[in-house]
Amino acid sequence: CSSNLENLNKNTKDPDAVSGESLFTGAQKALVDQIVHINVNENNTKLWSQFLQETTYTDESNYDQVTRTIPENLWSAIYKDVLKDLDEASKVITKTTYTSPEDQNTNNKLMIIEIMKVYAYSHLVETFGNIPYSEALNIDILSPAYDDGLTIYKDLIDRLSTAVNSLDINNGSFTLEDNIYTGDVDAWRKFGNSLKLRMGMLLADVDNTFAQITVESAIADGIIMSSNDNTHIHYLTSAPNTHPVHNEVILSGRKDFIAGATLIDIMNTLKDPRRPLWFKTVNENYVGGEIGSPSSYSSHSSLSSQVTAADAPGVIMSYSEIQFLLAEGAARGYTTGDTAENHYKNGIISSILEWGGNNTDATDYLAQSTVDYNTLITTSTATTPWKEVIGTQKWISLFNRGPEAWTSIRIMDYPVLATPTEAVSGFPNRYTYPIVEQTINAANYNAASKAIGGDLAETKLFWDKF
Amino acid sequence: QEKTISGIITDSSGLPLPGATILIKGTSSGSSSDFDGKYSISAKQGGILIFSFVGYTTQETPINSSNTINITMKEDTESLEEVVITALGVSREKKSLGYSTQKVKGDELTAVKSGNFVNALSGKASGIKITKTTNMGGSTNVLIRGNTSLTGNNQALFVIDGVPISNRNTNTRAQQQAQGGNYDYGNAASDINPDNIESVNVLKGAAASALYGSRAANGVIMITTKKGKKSKGYGVTINSGVTFGSIDKSTFTKYQNEYGAGYGPYYGDCECLYLNNHIDINGDGIPDTSVPFTEDGSYGARFNPNLLVYQWDSLDPDNPNFGKPTPWVSAKNGPISFFETPITITNSVSLDKAGENGSFRINYTNFDQKGLMPNSSIKKHNLAMSGSHDFNKKLHATGYANYIKTNGLGRNSTGYNDNIVSGFKQWWQTNVDIQQQKDIYFATRRNITWNPSSSNDLTPIYWDNPYWTRYENYQTDERNRFIGNTSLTYDLKDWLTITGRVATDTYNELQEERRQVGSVPTAFGIGSGIDGSINRNTVDSGYMRRDITATESNYDLFFNINKDLSDSFNLKSIFGVNINRNEFSRLTSATQGGISVPGLYALKNSKDPLALPVETVWKNGTDGLYGSISLGYKNTYYIDATMRKDHVSTLPKNNSTFYYPGISGSFIFSKLITIDWLSFGKLSANYAEVGNGASGANQLQDFFDINTPIGSASTSVSNTKNNPDLKPERTNSYEFGLELDFLKNRFGADITYYQSKSIDQIVGVRVSEATGYLYKIVNAGEIENKGLELSLSGTPIKADNFNWNVNVNWTRNRNKVLSLPEGLQTLQLGSFQGGITINAQVGQPYGVIYGSDYTYLNPENPIASERLINPTSGEYIKTSTSNNIIGDSNPDWQMGISNNFNYKNLSFSFLIDIQKGGSIWSLDQYYGLATGLPEETAFTNDLGNPVRNTLADGGGFINQGVNPDGSVNTTRIRADRFGAFGYRRGLPDKAFSYDAGYVKLREVALTYNLPESILKNSFITGATFSIIGSNLWIIDKSLPHADPESGLGAGNIQGYSVGSLPSTRDFGFNVKLQF
Repeated sequence: CSSNLENLNKNTKDPDAVSGESLFTGAQKALVDQIVHINVNENNTKLWSQFLQETTYTDESNYDQVTRTIPENLWSAIYKDVLKDLDEASKVITKTTYTSPEDQNTNNKLMIIEIMKVYAYSHLVETFGNIPYSEALNIDILSPAYDDGLTIYKDLIDRLSTAVNSLDINNGSFTLEDNIYTGDVDAWRKFGNSLKLRMGMLLADVDNTFAQITVESAIADGIIMSSNDNTHIHYLTSAPNTHPVHNEVILSGRKDFIAGATLIDIMNTLKDPRRPLWFKTVNENYVGGEIGSPSSYSSHSSLSSQVTAADAPGVIMSYSEIQFLLAEGAARGYTTGDTAENHYKNGIISSILEWGGNNTDATDYLAQSTVDYNTLITTSTATTPWKEVIGTQKWISLFNRGPEAWTSIRIMDYPVLATPTEAVSGFPNRYTYPIVEQTINAANYNAASKAIGGDLAETKLFWDKF
Repeated sequence: QEKTISGIITDSSGLPLPGATILIKGTSSGSSSDFDGKYSISAKQGGILIFSFVGYTTQETPINSSNTINITMKEDTESLEEVVITALGVSREKKSLGYSTQKVKGDELTAVKSGNFVNALSGKASGIKITKTTNMGGSTNVLIRGNTSLTGNNQALFVIDGVPISNRNTNTRAQQQAQGGNYDYGNAASDINPDNIESVNVLKGAAASALYGSRAANGVIMITTKKGKKSKGYGVTINSGVTFGSIDKSTFTKYQNEYGAGYGPYYGDCECLYLNNHIDINGDGIPDTSVPFTEDGSYGARFNPNLLVYQWDSLDPDNPNFGKPTPWVSAKNGPISFFETPITITNSVSLDKAGENGSFRINYTNFDQKGLMPNSSIKKHNLAMSGSHDFNKKLHATGYANYIKTNGLGRNSTGYNDNIVSGFKQWWQTNVDIQQQKDIYFATRRNITWNPSSSNDLTPIYWDNPYWTRYENYQTDERNRFIGNTSLTYDLKDWLTITGRVATDTYNELQEERRQVGSVPTAFGIGSGIDGSINRNTVDSGYMRRDITATESNYDLFFNINKDLSDSFNLKSIFGVNINRNEFSRLTSATQGGISVPGLYALKNSKDPLALPVETVWKNGTDGLYGSISLGYKNTYYIDATMRKDHVSTLPKNNSTFYYPGISGSFIFSKLITIDWLSFGKLSANYAEVGNGASGANQLQDFFDINTPIGSASTSVSNTKNNPDLKPERTNSYEFGLELDFLKNRFGADITYYQSKSIDQIVGVRVSEATGYLYKIVNAGEIENKGLELSLSGTPIKADNFNWNVNVNWTRNRNKVLSLPEGLQTLQLGSFQGGITINAQVGQPYGVIYGSDYTYLNPENPIASERLINPTSGEYIKTSTSNNIIGDSNPDWQMGISNNFNYKNLSFSFLIDIQKGGSIWSLDQYYGLATGLPEETAFTNDLGNPVRNTLADGGGFINQGVNPDGSVNTTRIRADRFGAFGYRRGLPDKAFSYDAGYVKLREVALTYNLPESILKNSFITGATFSIIGSNLWIIDKSLPHADPESGLGAGNIQGYSVGSLPSTRDFGFNVKLQF
């Protein structure tokens, strides 16, 4: 018998300690992967935004969230693979003793992590509504309670302001571990303020005063003012670090996705110059699949090679998007530095340019009465005309940006989407809670379900008043 | 007057019996037989000789004028002196035991060769639940007295000649969760060769197995191997058998034969909405009528032999039908003709001999199985040697060595996608002739599929040509294993021995999986999930290999005492030490992004840099001290006490040593009372505890995952939160037994009631991911098992030449989850496609199935209540939640009834195996009904019209139920498109949960022993011919189109069925010759 028997119990193949920076790298990629994905098991928002359609297995185009346990996959990715790792990263970095001058960068690293955390949480709130927050990320609480969505959201904005204001642009932060900005602190400051702007705008219908203060302070602190500052991860050309869309469409060789008729029909009407940048033609036409019905792959437009490139940027925030948010703010009477019309134009032009279109395309496009802001505002029959005008162009420009486009549709209520032919629910205003929460966190699930007005796809979230 | 009488004493098989006693009745003078069974004795004519031998019926023969009396002794089959092998390989008289054990003879296991002897235990002992799969070489779940552990190993421990061996199952978590494209690699107990088994003894409760300590908490299957025997011939036994299988059609989809490919009226704009009429196929510039090639369902156009349609076989120039339309008819050769006749050939030869100083036995067995699927086989070489030697009167040695080489080829993939059978059952065109797929594959060796992307892009869209899958994307595996032990025993006194034993079980295994360039892309290789088996990337080609090595070593030293303290008291005692060490290593590596050179399956052929390999390496050990004392009084009262102390490596130092006791007693009341018809009666009772450490790799410390670097190093927090404060698990159990024999042992009954509680379990609980983790290792939870086991045996007819024996084994286990860790109410064991989860829930049995349910007019009493229907759609209103209990994987009870008829040298036996109740959820039905494959999707409706007609044309159907206001539903649902049945339109998960019960004719065997009179003059000493049938008839079942026994594989998750192979009726012939 051995008195040191316990010494056998060693794991010689997995590390018991890693650097906080490497955890940050892993979490950052996991987060962007989840946002930009089109895998039907992970993220259905590009289908729900009716940019894309499924060819044969149209369940997700028809709003089926249950069969493939999609909400669980998203929930799991954000909490477990993103938030937990970010949380651990900041703990490790805080504890690590760096040598000078590297130690001067510690606070910036922690603040960048904090900004990423706020972003990840905001995505969960915008997707589910109430979520575990104050009791989350604590393994000693196996049944975490759900907090009120609006309360969380305002707290997140608070945390974001604190983090952004603590960034010190005179010091460095991460280097190659940051696959978005390579540690450029000023760029992170602009992203943080832009995120604050976006989050503030989302509260306009529920708390206009708070929204206005938030938006205006974000603008004052410095937001993204050029496409060069866009926030995107740099995917690589070799697996497994290629763009998730590339994995789904090219590596997989599958023929599951085609353009959705809703997007194609609108773009065809507007003679949109971005069509060839995004889609392939069929007999020199752009053809979208009927929403919710089976469609053949070969007779409909599929994604362009630019969209499906291995190292296509994984975008989570862009100048074009900011301009549309500012247009919305201006339309609501906020001080944004310019008119709604000009922001609207900037948004369209920068979208076309970001995708590789040229200025002539943009000018011609804007010159059309079907695109011109003032013409449309006067002809719109919508109750709030700017919602239709800005909403439609913002939605187009958010192509390939599933969650952001879906959120835009929910807040602006334009464009009017098709009802899928075999829809299993009304338009999904949220992801239903994961089935696993029903089974293993039942009491808190039931309370949250009741608090938000029922755990249904159609339930409107707190910020979605109209 | 005295004369000398001589003769030979043999057993029923003609072998000499040395040491038999011959006594002259009424005197004390006698003799005994020698090594060749010969005896001689002086006696008077007219006297009576009494022949006796332990284990045989005593015979009396009058002395007449002959000087020769040859005696054939008959085995006393119902002998109460039955000796059973208990823990550590120690034999005990069964009557003295205070706990339940049950013996199964080797013969009963070898009758039917299934490649996994464990399957043959089904129905042959009570208290044991065997759940097998239809996978070739697949794993078998062996549960004794129910699940005791929430998430740990619940499989019985396998022990050969007193030494534990590995029954590890290396299937990935993804396989167990029914994710597609994985294989069932079986469990290691299948290496045991039934030809080497003398008998199997099932130790059911903790009291029986306590001396094995921690690992025996789930019961023990004790295997005693055959030893060399004294024999008059050369000691050679040759055994040859062949078995053929034929598909049981009730376990495969019975297709509707009225409609072909498609998903609905979506493709054409003529009257033939269901066929495409837009594409010019033959190049004449005019659009033709063609099949919707891409659709893998059969909700299409009604067959019409006069209609000519361009089908898949018109597209490729190598096809005889290239450019030609063919009649629109149901395929002549459906998928069932894809399967081939499985053939299993087993040949074995053994040599055995025993002499004055020991015995020796060698066996070589060759097992060669060709599977049901094309290009599938399992081959095994099994070489075993056992021997014993007495160096002198006091020092004895024994040894056992067994080498096994197993090669698997083309195991069937399991789960949802990339599984040919789930394709056949869920996604298929009934117009496709499978033989044409075969012909074109063998003619071209290209992946020409029935499911091309379009008429001008012939690459497969969703499904490969099934022959391509079988011949190009096959797996192989090889396992080389050595099991051996040696022991030395020294007789210190005639009542005290000391034994030392060294044993090892070691194997290495290579599993290789392939995917040829040009296949439909699917999840393959290494993923980012827990063990690398989940979240795999989708690729069209690749190569993956797993290298596994495992070694278990056991070192034992123990004293054995057997002493009569007085005339009335007997003491038996064992005390000793066991040192157990385990090592395990697994390396999984795979190409990434596909392979570059087609058909070259090597890691260096990876298109992208190799995926990070997944490495698992661990060691653990247990040092055990144990002792037992058994006291017997007047062969009537027995009491046993055991104690074991374990020190395990897997727990923190302050919790790693623990003790557990057991006590049992029995009382043979028939010794005290005399009732004519009662020949034996015993009451027994016991209480025992078993402790257990953690299993596998380190669960005390936290570790991180390493990801493929992206620019710089990338890591993640592990999915599992480990626990530095673990304590041992404990199972407490008690049982009561009653054993009765009637009418001179013609009838017997053995009844056992048991109850066990497992507490402080080491559980990886599935937690809300909001905690940041997926699992947390904790110590808690409580499961209770209560059960009743009943074994009845009887000989209704016993005549000179004719015997009829009946054995009935009946088992009922009730399992309940009493509490879960940290206040959880539900522990999710598995999550599946269809929104199904399988769970442990407080207050419910282990393994309840959750999903969506119907809603009911009277929710208080759903069974009796009408189901609610939406009056607008006519569809059922299902629950929006998925946490409704829609099934329970535990059966109500199980029963095996075997009958054995002997007439002279002929014997006939059959076994009926019954499971009552239990649930199984079918993904095949969930999807298959929607895609219009099985016959129940094309019927004549209540209006007398085909249900698939449009509503305008009198089609459709009306769901039975009421609207929320209570009025009877009258809304008709259209059934002219995909999803009218199955998962798409209102049917909740509950609709696809079926009763898993069955009644099966499990085994039939007819055996003929060539009579002694014929063999007398040959060198052959025994010849036996058998005709065997297994699984001949599923007399009753509820699960449509599949075998309710066809689970995913061994493991804690049972009750989910997807794409399982059909089961086969097996017919075999066997010849056994001895000389």
